[in-house]
Amino acid sequence: MNIIWLSIICLTTLYCIKTGNIDCINQVFVNVGKETFDFVIPLLCSVAFWNGVLYVARDAKIIAFLEKLAHPILKRLFPDIKEDNETLGYVASNVIVNMVGLGSAATPVGLKAMQGMQKHNPNKDEATRSMITFLVLNTAGVTLLNTTVIAIRSTFHSTNVTGFIPYAILATTFASFVGLLIDRWWNYRD
Amino acid sequence: MINTSYILPIFVLIICLIALYKKINAFHSFTEGVKDGFSLFFEIYPSLLAMMFAIALLRESGLMELASQIFIKLIPDIPSEIWPMIIFRPISGNASIAILADIFKVCGVDSLQGTMASIIQGSTDTTIYVLTLYFSSVGIKKTKNALGIGLLADVAGISMAIFLTLMFFS
Repeated sequence: MNIIWLSIICLTTLYCIKTGNIDCINQVFVNVGKETFDFVIPLLCSVAFWNGVLYVARDAKIIAFLEKLAHPILKRLFPDIKEDNETLGYVASNVIVNMVGLGSAATPVGLKAMQGMQKHNPNKDEATRSMITFLVLNTAGVTLLNTTVIAIRSTFHSTNVTGFIPYAILATTFASFVGLLIDRWWNYRD
Repeated sequence: MINTSYILPIFVLIICLIALYKKINAFHSFTEGVKDGFSLFFEIYPSLLAMMFAIALLRESGLMELASQIFIKLIPDIPSEIWPMIIFRPISGNASIAILADIFKVCGVDSLQGTMASIIQGSTDTTIYVLTLYFSSVGIKKTKNALGIGLLADVAGISMAIFLTLMFFS
């Protein structure tokens, strides 16, 4: 990330110096701090609101209930840790928390799930197939309610804030499906 | 197509009804969530600003447009503003949020580009960041084909997002 970031800055600045487009670049240097702040403050308020709603769902044990529903499916997806209910529980809550849109709350449980899988790993510096399946589920995971996009769309005064949701759900389901299929095909032939 | 303006109210209503039934202190949960939401945001603000800076430079220098011109020749159906989104979505969540905001600012939030970018943002997660974080947290160096599968899934999700937008919004 560091290298990408530095090369973007150096490349663009050099390009502007070469083309003599120096005013534009000055504009960025002067304004980007304030513009980002102006963008983030309404967004922050909106994200905080959704976080509040989702915490109510968590404390009402709705998320725990969904995790229980996911258990039998996950047992089939992760055959080599199916005896380890604790790790499987972390996997379940990571997937579910991601699904309802509490993405950042998913990371701590996700890391615990990785530690749990590492315990069963005979070769400590090599990824197991469970880990790969887990990360595919995580990165292509189904997100039913993307609260960040909802928040950004409402700060830009969209006339149809939620219009993208059904299509986004279709696209993320498709991505998870393709990811799991490739994972199965590639890693489970042995 | 279903009326999407019912999604959020019904979602909130279901949560509140269950909370009422279970007799939990929902008011307290809500305020806790808001508090955590704030502190969480301050954690990501510095990297968000860093990405906003880089994206603003790319846009203002004209390099972003130059690169998009090349891509638009390959697949003319995809609006040129979308290409940075496609490229940065798997790399960094903050970068793609920065690009999303940028597209909303330039093209409008309800434009074809704005809708397409929203769906792409919702279609997948940042593969490269997640893989780096999760594997390094337990000290795994040989990641086998995890990156390949993750990126293929991203391609699938993003293509689906573009296809759906072109189908239903243009």
